[in-house]
Amino acid sequence: MTVLLMLVGCALDWRLGEPALRWHPLVAFGRLVDRVEALLLRPAQGPWRQTLAGFLGWLLLVAPWTLLAALLLRWPALYLPASVLGLYWALGFRSLHEHAQPVIAALKSGNETMARDRASLIVSRDASQMNIEASTIESILENGLDAVFGALFWFVVAGLPGVVLYRLANTLDARWGYRTPRYRYFGWCAARIDDLLNWVPARLTALSYALLGSTGTALRCWRQQAPGCESPNGGPVMASGAGALELRLGGPACYHGILKAKPWLGNGAAPQAEDIERALKLVRNALLLWLSVGLVLAGYMTWSTHA
Amino acid sequence: MLEHGGRLRQAVARYGGVAADWLDLSTGLNPHGYPVAALPPASWARLPEPDDGLEDVARDYYGCDALLPVAGSQSAIQMLPWLRSRSRVSVMEPGYREHFESWRRAGHEVEGVSVAELRRRLPDSDVLVLIHPGNPDGSRFGRDELLDWHGVLAGRGGWLVVDEAFIDTEPGLSLAAATGRPGLIVLRSVGKFFGLAGIRVGFVLSDLSLLEALKERLGPWAVSGPGREAARMALADLDWQRQTRERLVVEGGRLRRLLTENGLAPAGGCSLFQWVRHADAAAIHEQLAVRAILTRLFDRPASLRFGLPPDETGWCRLQNALRNIAG
Repeated sequence: MTVLLMLVGCALDWRLGEPALRWHPLVAFGRLVDRVEALLLRPAQGPWRQTLAGFLGWLLLVAPWTLLAALLLRWPALYLPASVLGLYWALGFRSLHEHAQPVIAALKSGNETMARDRASLIVSRDASQMNIEASTIESILENGLDAVFGALFWFVVAGLPGVVLYRLANTLDARWGYRTPRYRYFGWCAARIDDLLNWVPARLTALSYALLGSTGTALRCWRQQAPGCESPNGGPVMASGAGALELRLGGPACYHGILKAKPWLGNGAAPQAEDIERALKLVRNALLLWLSVGLVLAGYMTWSTHA
Repeated sequence: MLEHGGRLRQAVARYGGVAADWLDLSTGLNPHGYPVAALPPASWARLPEPDDGLEDVARDYYGCDALLPVAGSQSAIQMLPWLRSRSRVSVMEPGYREHFESWRRAGHEVEGVSVAELRRRLPDSDVLVLIHPGNPDGSRFGRDELLDWHGVLAGRGGWLVVDEAFIDTEPGLSLAAATGRPGLIVLRSVGKFFGLAGIRVGFVLSDLSLLEALKERLGPWAVSGPGREAARMALADLDWQRQTRERLVVEGGRLRRLLTENGLAPAGGCSLFQWVRHADAAAIHEQLAVRAILTRLFDRPASLRFGLPPDETGWCRLQNALRNIAG
């Protein structure tokens, strides 16, 4: 049953793309986040108080919706539509394409300035100094986890409440999970909970990337390069993805005049515009792999219970 | 002797520090030069032989019929003026000063001519010397226009000399494929794009009789065995060339943006360097030098040339320095 819902959810995402902004639950959620932050974040407080406030904020924002999702499922009539709709809202596979395709188009038409503007919408980098192709691919590989595989994983594990929990926790990490003075303590919980929720999905994603590209290179890069990455989940996903595509990504980068010693990811040539398409294809193939594995497992389970 | 970029030791002596800590942007050489593999022992031990394959790969790379390897295009720049009787020579300015000096030393009537004036001076010149793309100003010329000019000059026994030292990332601009006709001389270098300035290898592309005359003057074994072998490997490595061309175009754009953002919008350049005209060029040069960043300063017109930083650390240092100076 779950796998059929997954198929429908993915199909909806692919057909419809992101919901219009005013119907997007995450936009309304964003406003709630602002309210809670204004209420609870007191930079003058000590580290412990701030951390506790951050956890409280996290609970306030995530728990009610997750419980509501669990309650909704008690109505048999709502089970199917709520599950499908929830998954559709949480998935962003189509939006990965919608953000990357304009970059590819601009690069292919030779309009570097336009490509740079468009890429700067999806990557948080020093736009004038970044490498357009590499930054876009890194963002596709990493967002494959947040926007596709993490959501699917938690949907399989815990259904609608799982995917709601995951999406909201992920959003809070994106809002609060920074090591800046403002969020160092207040955002600590949001960041750690997101790390926890992504731990297994990240490894499954990295494995999927590896299986669907240059497997040996990907696994080697994962093992050697991921430990040097700042993010415990982004590391494996990007190292494996870069290896699978046989590209060289990452590396030390200059952020507004400050050198960040990030490790090199993958192995091979510097990426070209075509490689952005290859990265999108890798995420698509991984999604197809997940759905196929789901179908096979579901078929096997149905068969074994009836036999 | 004229002063050139790349005089890092001089800068160290004047501003201090150790050479390894300096960011040398003064040359316009590719900082990601060709990684020369171990050379065969014979290339060190034996006199170089002309059938080692260098001329063949070079002809393929440049797309020409005839060429002569020389010990850096500098040696051709010095020797070419001696192959002509006293002539009226127009040398593009600003440009690589060695051209002007070499023709003057050989007793010719030399005049420096701005890009805008070039066409007007054509009727009065026997020899026209161009640097394409212009160094440091990055001037570009159309192929058809240059061939027109060559036609005019060659019609009265004159020469068009085109120094294409920095043209490798834009091969479409090159006149290499048009060489072979009398009076057209193209100079190429493996110092810039291939980053192999140290081996001193360059090429003269022209018609056979001129190449023969030049060869006589330069004598046997003009290029060393290791130099020939390293150049042969670099010129044959098509994959490296393609990747490097793409990479340099990307980095050239990055340098242009970085300078522009910090109030030093380049007036010209190519992927290997950017040229910034600025009334306070000397002060900026000085401010960068005290931060151990070496650029090339030109007095006339007051301007600076920036080469590519070799790595992300270098980019970061340059960005910081430019911000501090601007701010």
